[in-house]
Amino acid sequence: MPSVRLGSMPDGSPAGARPSALPAGPLRDAERHLLDAPRHCPRCGAAITGPNGLVVEYWAADDRVFYCWCRSCDWTGTVVQVDRHIGHEAAD
Amino acid sequence: MLTAEQNAELTRVGPGTPMGELLRRYWYPVAFTRQLEAFPVKRVRLLGEQWALYRSPDGSYGVVEEQCPHRRASLAYGVVEAEGLRCGYHGWLFGRDGTCLDQPAELDKTSFKDRVRARAGRAEELGGMVWVYVGPEPAPLLPRYDVYVMEGVRDLGHALLPCNWLQIMENAVDPHHVEWLHGRYFEFLGNRMGFEAPKSFQRRHVKVAFDEFEHGIIKRRLLEGHSEDDDDWAIGHPMVFPYCMRVGGAGIEQMQIRVPVDDTTTWFVLYTVHAPDGAPAPAQAAVPDYELPWRDEHGNHIVDYVEGQDIMAWVTQGPITDRTVEHLGKSDVGIAMLRKQFKQQLAAVAAGRDPIAVVRDPAANHRIDLPCEKNKFGAGADFALQWMNLGFTRYSPQLDDLLRLHTNAAEVRANAISPVGVDA
Repeated sequence: MPSVRLGSMPDGSPAGARPSALPAGPLRDAERHLLDAPRHCPRCGAAITGPNGLVVEYWAADDRVFYCWCRSCDWTGTVVQVDRHIGHEAAD
Repeated sequence: MLTAEQNAELTRVGPGTPMGELLRRYWYPVAFTRQLEAFPVKRVRLLGEQWALYRSPDGSYGVVEEQCPHRRASLAYGVVEAEGLRCGYHGWLFGRDGTCLDQPAELDKTSFKDRVRARAGRAEELGGMVWVYVGPEPAPLLPRYDVYVMEGVRDLGHALLPCNWLQIMENAVDPHHVEWLHGRYFEFLGNRMGFEAPKSFQRRHVKVAFDEFEHGIIKRRLLEGHSEDDDDWAIGHPMVFPYCMRVGGAGIEQMQIRVPVDDTTTWFVLYTVHAPDGAPAPAQAAVPDYELPWRDEHGNHIVDYVEGQDIMAWVTQGPITDRTVEHLGKSDVGIAMLRKQFKQQLAAVAAGRDPIAVVRDPAANHRIDLPCEKNKFGAGADFALQWMNLGFTRYSPQLDDLLRLHTNAAEVRANAISPVGVDA
């Protein structure tokens, strides 16, 4: 489980789901989405929640991939949450 | 996976909603021409609102909100006149633009009628259907997409489905479902029920691709045993923004139309033109339409034909599928792209711009040709017969004629090929 800082961003937008809104115990995927989905554009920093953008989560093997679109700067890209970095194996 | 807020924004189509405002920038078919010819006024529902659609004595069309501004009776029970539609209750007459032209029970010189106006849209006929536009002025042109204006034998199957239009549109950018829903599942049913499922639907997808273009998203698939030169990859076929999919092959050209009737109802129309090379299309006195059965007498889905399988998937996803608990994979990237395209166009409308696929140039609207593969799934001419016998066309009142048309065309094409090495 990645560490997540909860609180408010400088512009007042939520940086993560409120802990009180989440149930105790292991989180379901829908709850993890609320907690972890990016809230700001990696390019321009504008909010991408609600009408300001789009975040669609999909899975690629163990990776959680967030397909993002920013209404402010029209950037589209993916953000991948990483729990463990694995490099390639050395060649023989 | 989406938040509940994002899911609501993408699926609510009523007046005043962001998606409702976007969708009101487009024309929609709401009736068959023959229905208005049989009786000149009809109640229709579109984008969560009720409308009265009518055909004037001169053959032109009009559409006004269903409830009369006077005492709210239905104008769908009105009297069609040369100037417009007159309410059957007290005779108020509304012109094509919604202007109140007559209030028979009021004093002659009153200005009361100038205070009253019915909301009106625009209505036109194209290709055997009546289309309406209920958005802001100036209205765009009714797009003349190739299928609606091309020569050929028309055949229109349709069904009213209890689900949101977006989950049907997401199916249009989901190539992988073909090899499973219409491939493996169809084969499973065939083995159990004693028929042979079409092999061409069972080919494995090696890769898929999606390209945005001015009318939506082009979908491509590379099937096992095929190359990138094959039609399914080199040409592909498009999701036509915001509510259609152009598809076809082997002399069958089709627009799959998914009209958002309201949040949880979609009118599904398979607008199909049969135009195989080698055989001239016989004239049609009228465009035949027929309703597709999709539930049996026990309430179970009818799944032994291609479109019945699609309908099963769309409807069983629920009235508005809950995207907060879905689990997309990388093979679903086309769905993410479609959602982004909708969000981009929502932003365009909010900024006062036209969204994509709004047509305003008459010179560009003579006929809008869309990219669409000809040799579907590499199945050749056999694809047409498989699609008709194991698809919705099996319910067509002209099935035998259509089978004969394609069979004769194939014979003409075969006879036209000179034998190699034989002198004439």
